[in-house]
Order: sequence, then structure tokens, then C-alpha cells
Amino acid sequence: MAVADVIGLLQKNPLYRNRVMHVETTEPEPAQYGTLDLPLPESVAGYLVQAGISLYSHQCDAINLIRTGKNVIITSPTASGKTLAFNIPVFTRLDADPQTRALYLYPTKALSNDQLATLQQMVQFTGISAKPAIYDGDTPQSKRPAIRKNARVVISNPYEVHHLLSWHSKWSEFFANLRFVVIDEAHRYRGVFGSHISMLVRRMLRLCHHYGADPQFILSTATLANPLEFATRLTGRPFGLVDGDGSPHGRKHFVLYNPFHDGIGERSTHQETKDLLLSCIKSDLHTLCFTGSRKMAELITVWAREDARRTSSRLAESIAAYRAGYLPEERRAIERQLKEGSMKGVVSTNALELGIDIGSLDAVIISGYPGTMMSARQQAGRAGRKGGESLAILVAHANPLDQYFMHHPDQFFNRSHEHAIVDTSNPYIISGHMLCAAAELPIQEDRDQDFFGDAFPSILVELASHDLIRKTSSGWVYTGRGRAADAVRLDGICNETFRVMCNGRLLETMDLAHAFREAHTGAIMLHQGQSYLVKEMDLETHTIRVSRTDVDYYTQALKDVRLTITGILDTRTICGSGCAFGDVEVTEQYTGYKIKQNDTIIGVEPLSLPPLTFRTKAFWLIPPPGTEQTVCDAGLDLAGGLHGAEHAIIALMPLHVICDRWDIGGLSSPAYGESGEPTIFIYDACDGGIGLAEKAFELLPELFATSHELVRDCQCEDGCPSCIYSPKCGNDNQPLDKKATVLILNALCCNAFKKNGSSNCLTSLEPIPT
Amino acid sequence: MAIALVLLHFHATQRGFKPPVPDVILTMAAMHAPARIGTLWQQRMETLREYEVIRDGNVFNTSFSDSYVLSSEHEHAEHYLKQLIEHYDGVSFNTVFSGVEHTNEGGVCFSLKSHHAIMDTSLDIDRFRTEILGDLTLVRGIGKTTQARLKARGYQTLSDLGKHPRFRVHAHQVLQRLSLGNQADIMDLIGSRHAKSHPLVLGTAGFHEPEDFVFLDIETLGLFSRPIILFGVGRVDCGDLVVHQYLLRDIGEEQAALIATCEHLSGDHAALVTFNGKSFDLPYIRDRLAYYGMGNGTCIPHFDVLHFSRRRWRGHFPSLRLCVLEQEICGIHREEDIPGQMVPEFYETYLHTNNCGPLVPIIEHNKQDVVSLSRLFFHLLEESYGCC
Repeated sequence: MAVADVIGLLQKNPLYRNRVMHVETTEPEPAQYGTLDLPLPESVAGYLVQAGISLYSHQCDAINLIRTGKNVIITSPTASGKTLAFNIPVFTRLDADPQTRALYLYPTKALSNDQLATLQQMVQFTGISAKPAIYDGDTPQSKRPAIRKNARVVISNPYEVHHLLSWHSKWSEFFANLRFVVIDEAHRYRGVFGSHISMLVRRMLRLCHHYGADPQFILSTATLANPLEFATRLTGRPFGLVDGDGSPHGRKHFVLYNPFHDGIGERSTHQETKDLLLSCIKSDLHTLCFTGSRKMAELITVWAREDARRTSSRLAESIAAYRAGYLPEERRAIERQLKEGSMKGVVSTNALELGIDIGSLDAVIISGYPGTMMSARQQAGRAGRKGGESLAILVAHANPLDQYFMHHPDQFFNRSHEHAIVDTSNPYIISGHMLCAAAELPIQEDRDQDFFGDAFPSILVELASHDLIRKTSSGWVYTGRGRAADAVRLDGICNETFRVMCNGRLLETMDLAHAFREAHTGAIMLHQGQSYLVKEMDLETHTIRVSRTDVDYYTQALKDVRLTITGILDTRTICGSGCAFGDVEVTEQYTGYKIKQNDTIIGVEPLSLPPLTFRTKAFWLIPPPGTEQTVCDAGLDLAGGLHGAEHAIIALMPLHVICDRWDIGGLSSPAYGESGEPTIFIYDACDGGIGLAEKAFELLPELFATSHELVRDCQCEDGCPSCIYSPKCGNDNQPLDKKATVLILNALCCNAFKKNGSSNCLTSLEPIPT
Repeated sequence: MAIALVLLHFHATQRGFKPPVPDVILTMAAMHAPARIGTLWQQRMETLREYEVIRDGNVFNTSFSDSYVLSSEHEHAEHYLKQLIEHYDGVSFNTVFSGVEHTNEGGVCFSLKSHHAIMDTSLDIDRFRTEILGDLTLVRGIGKTTQARLKARGYQTLSDLGKHPRFRVHAHQVLQRLSLGNQADIMDLIGSRHAKSHPLVLGTAGFHEPEDFVFLDIETLGLFSRPIILFGVGRVDCGDLVVHQYLLRDIGEEQAALIATCEHLSGDHAALVTFNGKSFDLPYIRDRLAYYGMGNGTCIPHFDVLHFSRRRWRGHFPSLRLCVLEQEICGIHREEDIPGQMVPEFYETYLHTNNCGPLVPIIEHNKQDVVSLSRLFFHLLEESYGCC
């Protein structure tokens, strides 16, 4: 009962005791098996018997639904046997019709390789000739024609498909017989990337229809709040859902661990993580530790080994770091050692989160909330060997989201899942794919309207007026100067890209907005855990020159934001607060940057960068009438309150809508526009919008409620990074007034206030429940 | 549904707060594409140039592209383009180009014809036959050394091998294929036992009449996946080389031009001759056919003069581009020519301005390409198998 030992240790040892905020224990669950509606062919059924596999309930549900011909999205958790759930129907079909083709899409090479091995195994045991093959950037030219011709199951990735569609005549037989498109880890295709993939899928479907095929889609994702909406947005087709989990689980303990329990935190999160890791390993628990960055993974490993060496050098050797930068052989070695048990502790970045087979472990430590519940669950899901007890520990960092969970454990454990957003109406994204589509087949308005949405006709006109496409009797033909598939990149919005060069070598590429914010002249930039000083940013050649540095200060840009409302698309009133959603034009300008050491500002420098103007979508709100009065009467700062509320809402938006904090921007003013009303704006921080503000607008009541809880329950006096201080505030976190923020958020949650006595006495304010 | 807009401005920071001033009041339709999109994509395309302009004399310093244009050529061509635009301003298309409209199931395109002299080539077909029949390595299992040994023992021809215990079955099969006379098959057979650029492969041209050859060269709007704007097809007719050119006056004419070209390629005895057509022209045409859903194109014997040229002249000249070979071998010198990589720019200018001046050098360039191609082809044939 090693797990129980560790839990006991955590709860009793004075070093740990105070930091344990909550332990959630789930009882073991036995396996639930299911039955199949239709019998499987001999070869497949025989394979299951031979391998000793009985199908779980959710696997049967999936197989049954797929065999009715529907598109299916499977959201059962990781390691529950989802792969088998879709491989079986595909192989069944292959057995019946050898001409069948299937396309499997994976986001990474490692996953593609894993799947190839699995498929080859199935081929061996069932005798069904699927000839599975990987077709991607690494496939040698000499092998490609044979794969196109012979492979029945082709494994690839979105980037390769994006290019091969323009060679569709070489794939004519494949597309004509394509019956299944399997998209695994589909939840990765959200946000800007997801919008691109959704367009890519539509282009592919368009070609399938041209060759007379109408394939079935099988999506496998982590658990989402909106699976059917997500699947339909991603592919344009209707779906059925399979979301149960019949696989067995042992007893699980999930610990919420807060080094900042007293609001201060004496030691760093990373040292605390290291200690926990060692405690687990010393109790003989095979442990996997997730961290947010490669540098941290390396550091924690080094510290853990140092400490371990004092006990035994063998113990020290059994701890290793793992991250994406390692060579494939090194990664395979570590994965294997984990599986075999010779490696006791591995400290990793999120690279291991994806479904690579490393077997299961006894304990998982998550250092810092990984940004989404989905990731947190997937990471925690690595713990738990067959039926055994398992342990997961979430170690909180000093930021609002982490601290929110520490103080509201029920929110963490009973949280409904997040919404994954795929926006199919961003004209910048659509237009690029329309160019590619025009290069694949002439665009015919009546046939292709369905694929490209409402803005389709006007985009055609716009593209034609720039000689990119030309109207003919066969449709709109692509006439651009370069290859369309080369001009359209699947990451990012069509925007200018900067190259970051160090000593003449290309370090990375960044898009414009990111470059202005993180890599302006004089900035300290991080790349793979190493600091660089930006020597020069050349706007003409789009080049940024940096040099390695080891300074102990960092920089933060100051931003001036102007916003103009250009259209209102929807309005609603929440608790007397007028809220709206619509089009805005935002102008951001970086005017200078702070130089900081730890948390002290040691200097401010000006910047002369041009303003960036873009059009996007936003939601905005005006607090209920009387709020302004209440705040002023209490002698609090209205502007500070609005600003704090804006930060809190932005901090907690990722809880409801899967996004990164950099994907959204905010703005608040005590007197906006003609009417001079106090207003808070939240907008999608990218050209054309990406659907985040739109989704948040639907979820405003929940968003207000969680933001309110966060600030109200924070134990600090006047605001801190755990509640209303934002690391990305372009205004240097000024002005901020925590008490005013609580008041305003309170009002947004339908809690009216009743005062008694003097207007300066805040303690007499009590919420009236509605 | 029209939505009334009010545009307002305001400042984020507390200090320097500006009172709002309504600028404009607009009505906006429900969905419209931002006007910047077209410009953004155009700019993106600019960065994807398919050739690199390099300083004269700097031939070894190309970086991103195998395709380069010397800066002197580039400048000259840009200057020439300007001159053309001026010179042909307001001149109608039909005044400049004397051709006809050509109609077929794909629609309409514009067709030009010109006549050129070709040298009289007579091939010594017997010499070719003797060589083939004496090539024992055509039989699977017989390499150079084995052939030498066999010949030393008196097996001089394939028929002789009919008596050989080990090779007689295969030799018989080879003879059958040769006698069946399917040119494409014979080319395949020889190409499978020798390099595809072997003179014997070239020799199979002797099975064709001059009228069978289709000399093909295309001009396109880019390196791939864009329209073919001009098809040049050369045919021998009564001792002359007739060059048919199918031009797209607008992109909508591509299908008709494709069909017109493919008609040439579909005769029973037709044989295709190109320069680098195996890598470029033919796959490109197949791709455009697939683009319009028009089927797969034909499979006639294909002589790619680039391959034969490489074998024959590698190391003799600094480069084996058509323009170099035509100068060195055939003494052809072009006047006012533009580099092939700049054809797209010229054509686009025509489309954009409706001034047909830029088309003039494109048509000349293509015409000369076809003529030079035919001259090189016959020259090579003559060298290997000509009657002397």
C-alpha cells in the first residue's frame, strides 16, 4: 500500500500537511463489458479471442454506431481502448471489401509510429491485408507511388494532407474508395489551428465528392463540454456521440497541493515538486512528473538526482528527464525503461501527455495547472496500473487559475468540461483555403458554397480583384503567382512572419503580434529555456537578431490599446448589466517596456513600433445601474475596479472556453464613448476573430460567477498575482482596486448590496441572495 | 439585415482621456470580406517567387531556388515589357496575331500556325534493326560480359540464341515482342534493359514516319498547379514543320486548348517528343486534365530529348538547357528572347492590362522552343542512325 503510505505522509508530516488543500478519492470501478449488435468477421473475432480481449461497453457502443454508417465522436478517456474501437470497424470493412481505403490523421510522428505498429500487429493476427503505411514528410520519394497505389490504410498528418491535395490526380483511386477518415487526438485541432484543419477537412471532402466517395468520420478526443458541436464544426457533418468508459479503474487519490497556502510561499513550486517526487520514489512509487517547461523539467531532474544521490546513487540513476527535444532513440529508451520499471521517476513536459504507450504508473505529479481540465485529466490519467491504487498530485503555482482551484476544490473535481472552439468564419483563414481549393478543382459557386460559409461570395470577388483567381465557364480557376499550398500555412493567421536569428542561425519564427510583444529591440526573450537579448528588430526584412545572454532581469512591454465598436451582433442583459457581442476594431501599440528584476522595476525604456490595427470580435458589458454609485460612495476607485474585473474575467475565461491567455485581450474604461458608461471589453486577440468571445458571451453568467469567487476568496489584501494582477497587463497593472473589483463582480452575479451606516464601512456590506 | 453603426473613439489610459467624437455613421450588410484580404495574399505570393535573380557571374551562389535568372537578363526583360506595353497600347489583338478561333467540346481557344523548314533526315532503319537484333543483353540474364562470351562462341544475334539451351526461351520472347511491332512496348523493353536514354531507345523512332511525331512544349503560369497558357505542337507535314500554337486569350480557354493538344496525342502511331517533358510537360498536362475532370491522357511512346542530350553531350557544354544546345548544335540564335521563368509575369501583365504586347515574345519563345526541339531530335537521330 505504498500509495497509502505517501498519502499518510502528506497528511501528517508537518512539512506537507498545511499544503494539502484537498484529497479526492474515487473508489475502484470494475470493468463493464458490452455486446456487439452485428457479428464480427472470423478473422477479427479470432484476433480478439487470441489476444484475450473482451470489449468494454464504450468500445461496443462505438463499434455498433460506426457500423450503422454514422459519423462518430468518441470522448472516452485516455487508455480506455479507443484505438481498438475504431480499428475493428475499419478492419471489418476491409475484410468485406478489399478495395476500401482509410485515412488516419495524427498530430505527431510519435503517435503515427505507434499506430503503425498497432495496425501491423492487427494485420498479422487477422490476416487481413491492410498494408498500412505512413505517408508524410519523411516518406522517401521512391516509396510514395507504391503507397498511393497499394496501401489500404494510410497514416498521415494535416501538414502532409494540405500539400498532397493538390496532387489529387495521383490519389484518384484512393479518394474514390475512401470509406473512413479517422482523426485521433482531435481536441488538438481547436483555436486558430482548428479553424485551419476544419477548412482542410472541407477541401478533402470536396475532392472525395469529386471522385464519388462520401467517407465516414471517426473522431477520437479527450472529454469536452461540446463534443457534437465541435465535431460538426470541424468537419461540417452530423455526428453521433460515444462518451462512456467501461474500462476498469483502481482506487484513485487526487491531491490538491498548494505551496502558497498562506498566501506567501516560502519555497519555489519547483523545489516543492522535487520534494514530492522524491517522497514518491522513495516509497517505491513509479512516478511521472509533468512540468510546464523544458527548462523546469531539466532543473527538477537535476535537483532530484542531487538529493537522491545522498541516499543511493542507484536511486539517482533511476530519475530521468524527458522532453520533445530529445532524439527519438533517447525517448524510446526512456519510454521502454518506464514500461519495464527500471526507471522510477521521469520528469517531463507535456510531450508525454499524448497517447503514447508507456504503460501506467503509480503516481503522477502535475507541477502547475496545465491550462485546461482536459490536459490535467489526461496527465492524471497516466496514473493507475491494472486495478492498483494510484495517486495524482496537482502542485499549484502562484497564479489566479491555480489558486482558484486550490480554494475551490469542488470546482476542480466537478467541473463540467471545457468547450473546444473551432471558428469557421474567420475570413483570413477561409480565404487561404479557398485559394488552395481553387488550385485543386475550379470553384463552382453552387457546389462549393456549403464548404466555405456565408462570406464565400464576397471573398471570391475580393480574391478575383487581386488576380488570384479568375472566373471561367468551368468555375473560378486559381491564377496566383505562387503555389497556393505554399502560401497558406496551417499555423497562424495570414500575417507577416518574423525570423529570429542568432549568430546567423534561424532560432524560430514568430508572427507579427507575438514579435512586437516578446521580441522588440531590447527585450529579453526565452527560447527553449535559454534567455536571449534582442539586439535589433528590422521591420523591413522581418528579421530579429538576438544573442544569448545570462542576465537576471526580464522585460515586459507596455501597451496602449484603442478600441472602436463597428457593429453589434447580439445583446443580452444579465442581472441588470447590459452585455453585447459584436465587431470591433482594435489598435494596439507598444509604447515602451519595463525592465524588472524579480518583481522590482529597475527601468523603463521607450519603443517606437508602429501601431497594429485589426478587426475582430468582442463582448462587452456595462455593470448594472447603481454599481458605479456604490463604488464611488464607498470611496473606491471605479477605474481600478473595472480593470481588476477585466483581469479576473480574462484569467478565468480558459476555465470555460479552451484558450490560451494570449488569445484574448481586454480593455476597461470608467467612461467609454458618447454615453460615458463604465465598460469592460474582452476581445479575440487575432485578426478576424476566432470564436472565443463569441462562446464566452453565451457563458457569461458562469464566467461572472467564477471570476467573482476567485477575487472574493483570495486571501490577499489589495490584490495579488493570484487574483487580479495580470502578467500580461500592458498598463503595468495600474490602476487596480481589489475591493472595487469584488463589488463590481458581485453586482454582475445578481447580488445587490445593502449598506448600513457610514459609506466607508465596507464590512457592513452583505450580499442579498436572490 | 442592415445594422446601424456608430463609430466612436476612446483612449484606454486614464490620463489624457479624450472626449469621444463620432466620426462616421455607416450601414453594414450582414457579411462582407475585409478589403485587406486580397492585398495580404498578393503580398504573400510576392515572397514565393519561383526563380531567383542573381548577379551576373554569380552562378554558383544560388540559395533557395534551382531556377535562376541573371540580373542582366531580368532587367532587360522588364525593360522590354515596358516597351511592349507602350508600343502595343490600343492595338487590337486580331491586328497583331493572325490566327483562328478553334472550337471543340472544351469551348473556344485561339490557334496560330506557322511553317518552318526542317532538314531532310533519312534513317537507316536496317542499321538500327541489325543493332537491335544483335543486342543479346536484351535477354534477361545476359549482361555485358555474358554477351561478350556468347558472341565469342558464335551467338551473334537473338535468333542465334534460339539454339542456346539456357536462353532460348527468353530470347524467343524478346524476338516476339520485337516483331509484334508495338513501338511503346519495344521502347519499354529496351528501356528496361538499358538506360532510358540509350541510343537504341532513340532508335525505335525509326519505326515511325516523320508525320507521327508530335513535338510538344508548353508555357505555364508557374511551376505547378496553375493554368497552361500556351501549347506549342509541331507536326511534320509535306517536308515542313508546322507549328500549331493554342493560346489562351483568357483563362477560360484552357480546356479547349487542352483538348486540341490532346487530339494530336491520340493518333494510332503518334509518338511524343519533348524536352524535359517526362518531368515537366506531360505530368503538367495530366494534372490540368485531372483539374477539369477530363480523364487521364494518353500513353504514347515518349522521346525526351533532354535525356538523350545528356547522354550525348554531358560535359561538352556548360549547361544542357535547350537555349544552349540550340546555339551550339544547331547554330540558332534568338533575338529579343525572354527567359522562360518570366513568361508568367508577361502573361499576367497581358491579363491585367488587356494589352497584347506581352504575348508577342511568349509566342515567339514557345514557337522557337518547338522548332529547336525538332531540330535537336532529328540531329540526334541522324547521328546515331542516319544514312551516310
